[in-house]
Amino acid sequence: MGISELEESSLLLDEKLMRFMDQLELLEEKRAALNSLIEQGWFSMSKARYSMGNKCVSALQYASEIEPLVYVHARTLDTGDVDFCTERVKQKCGNEDGKDAKSIEDIGPQEKGVRRRIKPKKHITEEEASEEASCEKAPEVTPVRKHDPNPQQDPLKWFGILVPQTLKQAQSSFKQVVELSAEIATLQTAVLNSRQELKHSMKDKHILQEESSAAQLDNRAD
Amino acid sequence: MAGRGKLIAVIGDEDTCTGFLLGGIGELNKNRKPNFLVVEKDTSITEIEETFKSFLARNDIGIILINQFIAEMIRHAIDGHMQSIPAVLEIPSKEHPYDASKDSILRRAKGMFSAEDFR
Repeated sequence: MGISELEESSLLLDEKLMRFMDQLELLEEKRAALNSLIEQGWFSMSKARYSMGNKCVSALQYASEIEPLVYVHARTLDTGDVDFCTERVKQKCGNEDGKDAKSIEDIGPQEKGVRRRIKPKKHITEEEASEEASCEKAPEVTPVRKHDPNPQQDPLKWFGILVPQTLKQAQSSFKQVVELSAEIATLQTAVLNSRQELKHSMKDKHILQEESSAAQLDNRAD
Repeated sequence: MAGRGKLIAVIGDEDTCTGFLLGGIGELNKNRKPNFLVVEKDTSITEIEETFKSFLARNDIGIILINQFIAEMIRHAIDGHMQSIPAVLEIPSKEHPYDASKDSILRRAKGMFSAEDFR
C-alpha cells in the first residue's frame, strides 16, 4: 500500500519535473529570440543614427506628451499562473495619415487672411475704422483649428517626418520584443510556480519514504 | 478607458529606452510621471532603486523591463520582489550581454536543484 503510494508520488514528481524542464527549455528559446531581436533593434537604430546624425536619435527627441500604444493584460489562471498578453492600441491608419498631412499643411499662422497692425486711434479715419471692424469679424467666421490634446502619435514622428527606413525597422523589432517580453513574463511565473509545486511534491515524497522505511523496520523487528 | 490594461515600464540605458519607447510602451501620466528611466553615467543607485520601487508600488504597471547590468546594482531589491505582478524581466544592454546565471528568476529556478532540496 505504502509502496504504491510512494510510486505514485514519484511518478507525479517525474511528471512535474519534466514539465518544469520543458518550461525552462522554452524560456531559454524565447530569451534567445528576445536577445537577438533587441540586438537587431539596436543595430537598426545605430544605422538610423549614422544617417540622421548622432544627436538625432536620443532621449532629447522624446515628446512632451507620451501616450502608451501597448497595454498588457495580466490574467491569473486557476493553476496560479499569470498570463500576460499584450494589446496594441489601434491607430486609425487611413484617417490618421490624412489628419497628419492636414496638420502639417496647417502649420503657420493660425488666423487666416492678412493681419493688420492696430494703429493709434487718433490717426484712424472713419473708413479705416470700418475696414478694421470687418477684419476683426473675419476670424470669428473662419473655423479655428482644433488642437487635438491626445494625438496618439506614432513615436517615429518624434524623430522627424521623413525618418529613415532603418528607424522603422528598429521600431518593428522593438514591437516584437514587447510582445515577446509578455510571453517571457508568463513563462517566468509558470517556471516559479512549477518550482514551488516540485518542492511541495518532493517534501511529500520524503515524508512517504520515511513512513515506508519506518514500516519496513517495524516489520523486520516483528 | 474602463478595460484598460497595465503598462510596461523600462529602466535602461538611452538606447534601450529609446527602442522600447519607439515600440510604444511610453507613458507620461497626469502627474507627468514617466514609466521609464533613462540611466545615464551620473544616475545614482539610490535613484534607480527608488524608481524601481515606485514602479513596483504602482498598480498600473504589469511588467518591468530592466537592463541586467542595472539590475545587478539593485539586486537585493529585485530578489526581494516575490509577487508575480509586476513581472521583472532582465534584458541585455549594448555593452553587457545577457547572462542567465545572473538572472534572479533563473537563479531561483536553479536553486531547485541544490543539495538542500534533495535531502
